[in-house]
Amino acid sequence: MQTLREFTRKTKRGNILKIVREHYLRDDIGCGSELCRNCFQNEVYQLTSQHEIQCSLFKFPHYIVVDTNVVLDQIDVLEEDVLRNVIVLTTVLNEVKHKSSSIYKRFNELVHDRTRHFYVFVNEHHKDTYADREPDETANDRNDRAIRIATKWYDDHIRASQSSKDLERTGKTATRVILLTDDAGNRAKAEADGILVASAAEYVKSLEDFPLLMDKLSHKSFDSEKQALPQYPPHLSMKELLEGLRQKKLLQGAFQASRENYLEGSVNVESFEKGILIQGREALNRAVDGDLVAVELLPESEWSAPSEIVLEENNVYADDVPSEERAEQEKDMLQQVQAASAASAEERSPTGRIVGIVRRKWRQYCGILQPSLIEDTSRHIFVPADRKIPRIRIETRQAAKLQNQRIIVTIDTWPRNSRYPHGHFVRSLGPLGDMATENEVILLEHDVPHCKFSEEVLSFLPKMPWTIKAEDYAKRVDLRDLYICSVDPPGCTDIDDALHCRQLPNGNLEVGVHIADVSHFIRPGNALDKEAAARGTTVYLVGKRIDMVPELLSSNLCSLVGGVERFAFSCVWEVDHDANVISKRFHKSVIKSKRAMTYEEAQVLIDDPADQGEIAKSLRNLNKLAKILKKRRMDNGALVLASPEIRFQVDSETHEPLEVEAKQMRETNSMVEEFMLLANITVAEHIAAEFTECAVLRRHPRPPPTNFDPLVKAARYQGYQVDIESGLELAHSLDKCVKEDNPYFNTMIRILTTRCMMQAVYFISGSLQKEEYFHYGLAAPIYTHFTSPIRRYSDIMVHRLLAASIGADSTYAQLLERKSNEELCHNLNYRHKMAQYAGRASVALNTHLFFRGKEEDEEGYVLFVRKNALQVLIPKYGLEGTLYLKSDKDGKDGLERTKAQIIFTFNEEDHTQRCGNFVFHSFDPVTVRLSLDSSNVQHEKLVFRLVKPYIKGFSVEPKAGADDKESQAPPPTKKSKKDKKKK
Amino acid sequence: MAYVALSEAEKTFILHGVEEDFRCDGRSRRDYRPMELETGVVSNASGSARLRLANTDILVGVKTEIDVPSPLAPEYGKLEFFVDCSANATPDFEGRGGSDLAQELILSLQNAYESPQAFDYRSLCLIPGQQCWKLYIDILVLECGGNLHDAVSLAAKAALFNTKLPRVTATLLDAGITDLIISDNPYDCTRIGIETAPLLVTVCKIGDYCLVDPTAEEEGCSTVSIVVSVSMRNGEPYLSGTHMTGGGSMHRDTMQNCLQLGLSIGEQLNTLLTKMLKQEQDRVGPKRPKTVGFLK
Repeated sequence: MQTLREFTRKTKRGNILKIVREHYLRDDIGCGSELCRNCFQNEVYQLTSQHEIQCSLFKFPHYIVVDTNVVLDQIDVLEEDVLRNVIVLTTVLNEVKHKSSSIYKRFNELVHDRTRHFYVFVNEHHKDTYADREPDETANDRNDRAIRIATKWYDDHIRASQSSKDLERTGKTATRVILLTDDAGNRAKAEADGILVASAAEYVKSLEDFPLLMDKLSHKSFDSEKQALPQYPPHLSMKELLEGLRQKKLLQGAFQASRENYLEGSVNVESFEKGILIQGREALNRAVDGDLVAVELLPESEWSAPSEIVLEENNVYADDVPSEERAEQEKDMLQQVQAASAASAEERSPTGRIVGIVRRKWRQYCGILQPSLIEDTSRHIFVPADRKIPRIRIETRQAAKLQNQRIIVTIDTWPRNSRYPHGHFVRSLGPLGDMATENEVILLEHDVPHCKFSEEVLSFLPKMPWTIKAEDYAKRVDLRDLYICSVDPPGCTDIDDALHCRQLPNGNLEVGVHIADVSHFIRPGNALDKEAAARGTTVYLVGKRIDMVPELLSSNLCSLVGGVERFAFSCVWEVDHDANVISKRFHKSVIKSKRAMTYEEAQVLIDDPADQGEIAKSLRNLNKLAKILKKRRMDNGALVLASPEIRFQVDSETHEPLEVEAKQMRETNSMVEEFMLLANITVAEHIAAEFTECAVLRRHPRPPPTNFDPLVKAARYQGYQVDIESGLELAHSLDKCVKEDNPYFNTMIRILTTRCMMQAVYFISGSLQKEEYFHYGLAAPIYTHFTSPIRRYSDIMVHRLLAASIGADSTYAQLLERKSNEELCHNLNYRHKMAQYAGRASVALNTHLFFRGKEEDEEGYVLFVRKNALQVLIPKYGLEGTLYLKSDKDGKDGLERTKAQIIFTFNEEDHTQRCGNFVFHSFDPVTVRLSLDSSNVQHEKLVFRLVKPYIKGFSVEPKAGADDKESQAPPPTKKSKKDKKKK
Repeated sequence: MAYVALSEAEKTFILHGVEEDFRCDGRSRRDYRPMELETGVVSNASGSARLRLANTDILVGVKTEIDVPSPLAPEYGKLEFFVDCSANATPDFEGRGGSDLAQELILSLQNAYESPQAFDYRSLCLIPGQQCWKLYIDILVLECGGNLHDAVSLAAKAALFNTKLPRVTATLLDAGITDLIISDNPYDCTRIGIETAPLLVTVCKIGDYCLVDPTAEEEGCSTVSIVVSVSMRNGEPYLSGTHMTGGGSMHRDTMQNCLQLGLSIGEQLNTLLTKMLKQEQDRVGPKRPKTVGFLK
């Protein structure tokens, strides 16, 4: 049988077309039930009679048909291994796919899990269940009707196939089919049709064996708030939004909440350079970080400037009604914010308010439950780990159990009358403070794919034992005799580069950089390749590595370990003794690294004049050349940037940090780096010339001059001139920033410079003009990543391009396609950024663990002077923190201080804070006491307290006897606030 | 035109029949042969009709497109006729054989529909000066049994009646540029007014007499015929175009008579067609018709 589906569609050119598709109806679609003897079943029965669920609502065996809204809202319930024998209609599947691709993906996984007995029924193509759209019926109504028709058909069908005799004999009750829907209209109609129907909430509540499943229910409304007054202006309807956007009355952009101030955020809109500032709770209007929102610009007279105030939300409780007191507080804050900004007119930026949400980007959030004041309540406040995300109200009955756990929660809705969004509990990650849990949190929060490699991916690994075959030798250049060695940090198992240097008969030197030949093992297009491309990069956390490729490759077959024959991609130059490149060549090779060294070992070898071995000699030559290369690079205007980096000595068993040390730079580090840069640049030039349209390159855009403002200002207060005209001038002026009495000054200036920089990004050569290929930091006209294919996917792409250009490997269509490569680059850039953030978060986490129960006085420097705080850097730990000077959040404390005449005055002119005789400038040395404030279990934070210079009544006493100090340490600001709250 | 081979005797027989007002098939000079009409037969088109007049078989499909109104008539939509004489009808149409006939039909239709009083072009306009509907009326001659002009015009009118345009609302953008939004409900449609749409009536002169709806044989006997396009306005038939075919000439009085005959026949035909179309519409309802007549 056949029918037609008609619809009208608008083409890109604005034409309106009527499209008619043939739609075939079949009579051979099986119902998938074990009970049915009539249907032709083309697959194993999916609906069994074995799984019976105890339900007080339907006291007979039943199959469940779920409505689209149930899938969309209650996916977490469905994911729990409780509901089985679920009939999934294609109508529902399509609607879910249309509405939310992420939920569709999750739902699909469920459907494919055979143990769950989810059966997809192709109702749209079944002759008895197809519903043609009626006139005056919306698409939604039609789908609802299709669902009802299918449910009704199923129920009749299943009942007809169970003869009453059989039932009597076995003593079973007849299996029925029930419909779960949260749509009241659909439900009423279903009831009228005689279909057994329940809402998801009712059904889940009626499950006797699984009381905890209720927590996972998504809540659209909390009863107590139904009558509450609206706290936010209403959002515009989708139609109004689209119209407004089209007419350019509204602007669309991604909302970015501020990390420091929960009442502030910005929306990045294409036509505005800086993004539109949003201030105050009502202007924010329930936007959550990442949402695509519509903004209305305020008149210019109401524009304001981003406050430099750090504002954190007070503790709140689930049952708190928004009290007037708090509203007052908020108003105060806002006034402060606005007053502060009114003064500096030129710093004002476009300000707006959010009038509607175009698309929510809600995801799952990690965090903890906030301890509730009232016992035995089921309503709780969830505090996300990410400060940009507001607190979320959830209902759970396992609060006691979850109290000290990291949990995952998702947002369901955010009604107008609720201060916080409503959500529900998804799962628990594990106990708080546990290393594994915390790492999991970091990975989840940074969207790092970290699940195990699937079987399919692993199936593309070479079979072990793996040996090099004769034909491999034939295809590759044999470099096994060369004295090749690798130099890496200690404990490195994914060695992807090795070096050699030898004297040529003509007196010149031959330098070779040998890179692990990962592209030999990862063939384009297979599952392994796709997985690696999706992961994009290996992520390094403290004491943990999340591989981009399976370990067999990363730590074994690809890794250029010492004494073993390995495949490599070699880049070999002939250079004279002044490091001028005379010739270069690329080829695939077989190498046998003579030794895998650490930087330290290599350094020792170079410095030991007694050692005249081949390795030592070649290292010395390399080192010599590297110095020349580096000097040449510096003269070109490459920047030496600094960022405080530290390493943790991690206990191998508990994975807890034992010792912190700043990373050391040895000569050998720079030696390896120079040759990697040389290799990268050489390869970049080569592939850009060979593939003008599709070469994968890396560029580092020159930052806009305004980015340098903080740096230039900071240096000027110190009497230094930083010239930002060009990279070369910047490099030179940075070199001049040296202070006799402050040896760390130069480093700090460099740290500040680093923060002015833009992100370096991958791109495709065809997408930009040649001049834009420039790498600002390295002062190289062209650059790419070639040297770390084990841990970066970009390098694999470069390897493939290079291999294709020298005829060592075949090309394939995708390799040369600009569009798909561009998409890949986007993903790589994103993954790269996230990996960096994750790495930093991991360091921060370990720093906190390290300081647990400790209190230390440390030398530090003021990095920035803010309006109400000093930003202090502790070089020893590479740590940065805030030393609060004014307690805005804490009226009482402030009052006491005023009495004691400890008032810090902020000077806008030269960015200083003055208190009595003490003046704090940027870069001033201070001594601070570090301790961990664990009062907020989730955001344990390091508290900085001033020790030196000593200001009476504000600074803490210098440690005289460490023991008694600990016991009577003055309470951190945070605690005093809590005290107040209790009173 | 497809020629039917006729002997002198046959011609004389036909001629005498006309004189007697008793034609070969028993009709009088003012009678039409029975017609079969069905609308909505082509599901891919926005409107369609199929008309069978004795052996003449016509299929019409209407396609719609968005276009820019001509600057001379910014408030008018557009119509475009296209006739294809299928080689199925007669082997003479093979290759470019039918193109002359097709061109003639197109011209007479264009001529008939040209006047804005014959067809309400304003109803096809969406945004004056910016966007309008353009209707492509594709006519396929499947079989040729005489009186093509009348059959084609009837079918075209029926197809226009059947045409459903998706309901479009316009939103105003900045700088006066507008954008169209289509209704997502496929049943939410607008129809085209066909009250004034003209019909063509071929008045054929055989001997001293004029007759309508000539068969292919009668056409062979005729020296001259006049195609009269009749448009109804406020219940009165108006002439919206004429067109002469055949080699012969006509006396002024004969022509006057022919036009009068054409007008009165056209009026009757129009009333009947409108009635039948309404009946069919009521029978089918808003949903897609179950295909019955065509290629069953």
